[in-house]
Amino acid sequence: MSFPSSGLLSRGELLVLTDEVSSPAEFLIHRILSTHLKEANESKCLFLSVSESLTRLRAIAGKSNLNLPQYIQSGSFHFVDVASQIDPPVKIETSFNQQPSLKPIFELTKQKLSGWSGTESSVLVILDDISTLEWIGYSITDLLRFIRVLSAFCRKANASLLIRHHIVTPSEPDDILRLLRQLCAYHLEVLPLSTGRSGSVSGQVALHPGPGITQPVHRPITRKLAVQYRLTDTNVVFFERGTGNTVL
Amino acid sequence: MSSFKRKTSSHVTNPIGTRVIPGPVSTFITSSGVPSLDDILGGGLPLTCSLLVLASDLHTAYGELIQKYFIAQGLACGQTVCVLDDDAQQFVSECMWMPGQGAQVQNFVPSTNDHIDDEEDESSKSHDAKIKIAWRYEQMKQFQTTVSSASQSNEDFCKVFDLTSRIPSDIVNSSQLVSVNVTTNTDELPTRRLLRSIEEILKQEDPTSYKPIRICIPTLGSPQWGDVQPQELCYFLHTLRSIIRRHPHACLSISLAPHLCTDAWGGPGWTQKLGWLSDACVSLTAFTTNPSLSALFPSHHGFVHIHSLPAPHTLLSPSDKFSSLRGLSSSGENNLAFKCMRKRLIFETLHLDVEGGVGERRTTPSTTATVIEESTHAQHQHFHPPGNSIPSEALAKVEVQLEGVREQETKVEVQEQPAVPRPSAFKKAKPKKKVAFHSDRPDLYDF
Repeated sequence: MSFPSSGLLSRGELLVLTDEVSSPAEFLIHRILSTHLKEANESKCLFLSVSESLTRLRAIAGKSNLNLPQYIQSGSFHFVDVASQIDPPVKIETSFNQQPSLKPIFELTKQKLSGWSGTESSVLVILDDISTLEWIGYSITDLLRFIRVLSAFCRKANASLLIRHHIVTPSEPDDILRLLRQLCAYHLEVLPLSTGRSGSVSGQVALHPGPGITQPVHRPITRKLAVQYRLTDTNVVFFERGTGNTVL
Repeated sequence: MSSFKRKTSSHVTNPIGTRVIPGPVSTFITSSGVPSLDDILGGGLPLTCSLLVLASDLHTAYGELIQKYFIAQGLACGQTVCVLDDDAQQFVSECMWMPGQGAQVQNFVPSTNDHIDDEEDESSKSHDAKIKIAWRYEQMKQFQTTVSSASQSNEDFCKVFDLTSRIPSDIVNSSQLVSVNVTTNTDELPTRRLLRSIEEILKQEDPTSYKPIRICIPTLGSPQWGDVQPQELCYFLHTLRSIIRRHPHACLSISLAPHLCTDAWGGPGWTQKLGWLSDACVSLTAFTTNPSLSALFPSHHGFVHIHSLPAPHTLLSPSDKFSSLRGLSSSGENNLAFKCMRKRLIFETLHLDVEGGVGERRTTPSTTATVIEESTHAQHQHFHPPGNSIPSEALAKVEVQLEGVREQETKVEVQEQPAVPRPSAFKKAKPKKKVAFHSDRPDLYDF
């Protein structure tokens, strides 16, 4: 079963990815990245990394037949370590008025996308973790502004945007999730099994259309009918509920 | 001469005290000092990864115990160990050591109970040997709740430690141990300063050397760290993890101070956040907070919850494939618990015993079962008037008339058997010895 379908991340749209600690959605980021880069020769990707390391990204990509160093060399893939680009959130030596902001990241994105704008290539921007930025001390207002401006700029530049957000309180949606849900075209929700971890089913994925798209092309997948998946070392296998290899 | 050449794999020397996980990208793992914890982590803690231990109980120090194992293992196999604590030397001098090679614990009085506790396995084995087992089951492997301790081949990777032995003082004073003070006189936050110190220490290490460095923080967030806020702690963990990732020979183990381990301190979803901010996050919930749990699981000291597990080069954590304690390769995940015996700490699978929670192996009913039975009888006696002699077969009579009947009558008569004391079908088990504590009497203990 092929999931998610290739047209899910259309140009100029925002795709939101949410996950929980017992079912991380990294596999979907790797899958979307791999599909995007292999799709066409001119495909470009800007990876804004908060939690993921380039070493791990390279190792996993290498095993799924994606030669990331080659893409880096050709300029199709650009990796940005967000933490190294911005000031630490609370600095004891700075005054309280001088709050650090996420503006450098936006400027960098703007600069990179402007460089790619002349070509006919499809561009993908990935922000792998917005939640950690909130946890380590950046203010909610800053983050909401950052999401809004990044989303607006990507729409203007006709680039697809993927943002991952971790859910730590599943019963109460937080401010960031509320905003992301308002802006997104689709919301991919990775959920753990309610019965706990299992060797044959790693988790399940639901797909909800968002208000960012007027006529959703892809049919929604509710939580009740969520597609289940099983992780292997380098890949992921999707299957319908009740059709796992231990059931059949 | 033939042009064919034998293809030989290039010989890679492992860093000291490490092992390679088989796979397309070789990952070096190192032991935490506890074989069963290594199993949960997927063989050991991978280099470039961080382990966070949460032990929320204020009255016990299981988090620190894990750190002591981590330090002892590092020192025993010749790795460099960096401890971030004001009393690092003191902390390390309390570490356990290999049996027969270190000093014995002072003021240690071997009690018979402890001895029995520790020899549990051996005695049960010898006990089993005497039991006559049906031939079809005789050949079956004995049921294992934990992984076996270090074997001969495993010994270099994971040393065998004894909690009654103490680390020799010459090792504590050796150059293998690097200690970093947490408190200073400057106004700067300790977390920010220590991030720089760790980075400097790691930079000084020779990248070509095959000597891993272990960084250990025994109690992060204790009073010596000042007034730590949740955001600052998250920043520290996040930055430290990215520093460790840049150094291929470093690994990190942290225990949080007990009061920081719960959602009550960090807000809703705090433990989940900690799980996201570290490569491996395990919490040890001791039973001391809830006496009913210790009564229910008398042979364990607490639950083990896994929040996240390291996967440095793969999508799937090696633990999911290799851990026999978690048991994911065959079915759902096992429940895990830990127990600390006289000589060692063990993580094992948690099962309800036969008949739902009675620990001993027996052929007669347990005392609790007898007590329950007796108490039920007593209740019956209380409710019934004497002299009611209706046969016990007619306990309830229900009459229901269906359609066509004007008045639907339902008669329910509930009659119960008379209060004749029924002799128990089982023999009453010998009452257990009890020890009572009286503070108002001259002799404190009443046997």
